[in-house]
Amino acid sequence: MQSRRQFILKGAKLVAVGAAAASAGPTVFVRGAGAADKQLKVLQWAHFVPAYDKWFDPWAKDWGAKRGVEVTVDHVGFADVVPRATAEVAAQSGHDVHMFIGLASAFEEHVVDLKEVAGALEKKYGKPVELAHRSTYNPFTKKQFALSDMWVPDPGNYHKKVWTDIGIPNGPVTYEDLVKAAPEVKKVAPQMQIPIGVGLSQDIDSNMAVRNILWCHGGSIQDKEGNVVLNSPETLKALEYAKRLYSVGMTQAVLSWNAASNNQAFNAQETSYILNSISAYRTAQDNKLPVLENYFFVPALKGPTGIQLASEHVMSGYVVWKFSKSQDVAKEFLVALVDASRESMLASKLYNFPSFYGAAADPGTAMNKKSESGAAWIAKQCNADPFGSQPGDKLSLLAKALPWSTNLGYPGFANPAEGEIFDTYVITDMFAKTATGALSPKDALTEASNRCKEIFAKWRKKGMVAGGSKDR
Amino acid sequence: MTTTEIALATPSRSRGASLSRRDIRLGEILLAPALAYIFLLVAVPFLLAVFLSLTNSSAGSLQFSFVGLQNFRAVLGSPVFRRALWNTFVFTFVSQFLVMVLGNILARALMKPFRGKLLVRFLILLPWAAPISLATLGWLWIFDSTFSVINWMLKVVGWLGPGQWYYWLGDPVLGMVAIITVHVWRMLPFSTVILLAGLTSIPKEIHEAADIDGAGPLSKTFQITIPMMLPILTVAILFGVVFTFTDMSVVYLLTRGGPYNSTHVLASLAFQDGVLGGDVGRGAAEAIFLVPLLVLMAVVMLRISRRAEVV
Repeated sequence: MQSRRQFILKGAKLVAVGAAAASAGPTVFVRGAGAADKQLKVLQWAHFVPAYDKWFDPWAKDWGAKRGVEVTVDHVGFADVVPRATAEVAAQSGHDVHMFIGLASAFEEHVVDLKEVAGALEKKYGKPVELAHRSTYNPFTKKQFALSDMWVPDPGNYHKKVWTDIGIPNGPVTYEDLVKAAPEVKKVAPQMQIPIGVGLSQDIDSNMAVRNILWCHGGSIQDKEGNVVLNSPETLKALEYAKRLYSVGMTQAVLSWNAASNNQAFNAQETSYILNSISAYRTAQDNKLPVLENYFFVPALKGPTGIQLASEHVMSGYVVWKFSKSQDVAKEFLVALVDASRESMLASKLYNFPSFYGAAADPGTAMNKKSESGAAWIAKQCNADPFGSQPGDKLSLLAKALPWSTNLGYPGFANPAEGEIFDTYVITDMFAKTATGALSPKDALTEASNRCKEIFAKWRKKGMVAGGSKDR
Repeated sequence: MTTTEIALATPSRSRGASLSRRDIRLGEILLAPALAYIFLLVAVPFLLAVFLSLTNSSAGSLQFSFVGLQNFRAVLGSPVFRRALWNTFVFTFVSQFLVMVLGNILARALMKPFRGKLLVRFLILLPWAAPISLATLGWLWIFDSTFSVINWMLKVVGWLGPGQWYYWLGDPVLGMVAIITVHVWRMLPFSTVILLAGLTSIPKEIHEAADIDGAGPLSKTFQITIPMMLPILTVAILFGVVFTFTDMSVVYLLTRGGPYNSTHVLASLAFQDGVLGGDVGRGAAEAIFLVPLLVLMAVVMLRISRRAEVV
């Protein structure tokens, strides 16, 4: 008969043996399986249009099945894309392919150079759109650190009835129109809590909105060579504009918005204008919301000197980690994804726009006509929305979005410094502090400019960002 | 002692020594998982954080160089960091004060017999059991700037007139109020349970003797209840303070540090700068900034607690 002590001692030994077996077991099994079949693990965001994921997951598996590759797709919320990448880099294990929806440039050191893949696709389909190239290539290190299969335009969304009632039925054209319209919106739609809904909070949409204002007033964080030029009279003008707009047309609500808030506010008819992709509109369609008949779009607004620019709403950036054991399969997968650009655009209900327009060309089109043919196919979809827009050409402006869409980092290339400034909300905070009067425009600018210079200097020391000689 | 007695005592003593050795061995085995857990999941990450705070490490890289105290100097010069430091103290001390006061009231109420006491205890414990992300999502809607239930109710009862609205998460002060409210709601059950245990452990005879001596409620509280509960109170406060000082979940889920980085605490700022922004060195410096203070606080409070036990 065992004593209690003997029992516990034996039990402890058994647990120890069991734990050792458990930790060794999966390794043995995985190695065994890996020797027989190829595997590809893809980390993908949970798309803002859920229908896309319903297409993507089986498509990826089917692609793998045809080639004897077991494809696993994992989805994370958009906010977890970067933390997950950080964790996988630290652990040097995880997925083979990782999709970023913003800038992947900070991870350049740990990703495979995709120059060869980009080159092959260029030969097949022609050049990618310029903003995709600028978001995935580092001219300083000459590395194609990511590959973009799609980007998303970011138009203005306006409430047709309200804007018609104030005498501007086709919506605003310039930023000044928003300031002029705000008091009128208050008169004709007093029930709307936020007459103009341009976010100034620590979220992804606000980050884009304030950059649009900055660029359209002639300012930018960096110049083409990577010098920090935020501290400029143009930025001050942009800040003063934001202060005016906030005082006449916005409330503190816009300081607390998350990525879904502007959609919710617009869909609940609590605001007359927001900046967003068409995902909010598709939600309104899916749920047959009352706002639907008044849900219309305008292109990017123009600044005082006529500059008309908007940041892409999403820019896909697929990377292949250096620690991946399936790098060749991963590269093939990315080529196949670009090949499927038409399906991708339709599966996302016209949310995704191909980064290689040529990949959407009609079959058999001559090489030099592919981009043109792809653009025509895209325009055809937008001019007669197959997903039930009324009128059918409601989204036609998206087909002409390319000239007014640009990349984070404009007028230069995207880089890790721009990424860190984006992810730590330096620019949104500068605008929010100015708009609310927490700081004067000049003080907010000085604070933000100093922080930007610190961040750029840090990345320059790491040899990943150019410029510096003409920092202001 | 006779020869027979010695002969009998010797195997017994050696059996005792053997048992004692086995006890020590068993103790070591039983303690090993806890020590391994603390070493692997607390000590190693902590030492790593200290090391990283002295480097220029970034999220996308495994290479870094030693930069001394540069990260600490940089964060001290940042107004966002100074604000977060201030917020951390406000968040911790205001929420702990409220938790202790409300916990005491609740614990005293729960000591009295009343109908439905079990149900009330269950409801009080619910916030502690609920996953914080799920609970905070509920609070997010309660404090939503456009659809706040509180505001709609205040509007209905006439507290808020036309054009009046509380932007709970869009205002630096209201944002902190919202954060503290959720944190107090979350911590209250634990504190109540601990205080309830402390209150019930005081023998009734002591209170009865004090009643006979003519002591009033205030003198009983300050001369009997608080001194006798001091060890348990100290542990509750120490746990609450350390937990609150190092917590980022409520802030991150509710305001993400906004508006304009005005509601960050050090832990949430460290996450934003270190993980999202990719500046691991800076994030680590922000995260461990208060460690010396926390260690000092823990030592002082544990000493107070031990002294109170001896008394």
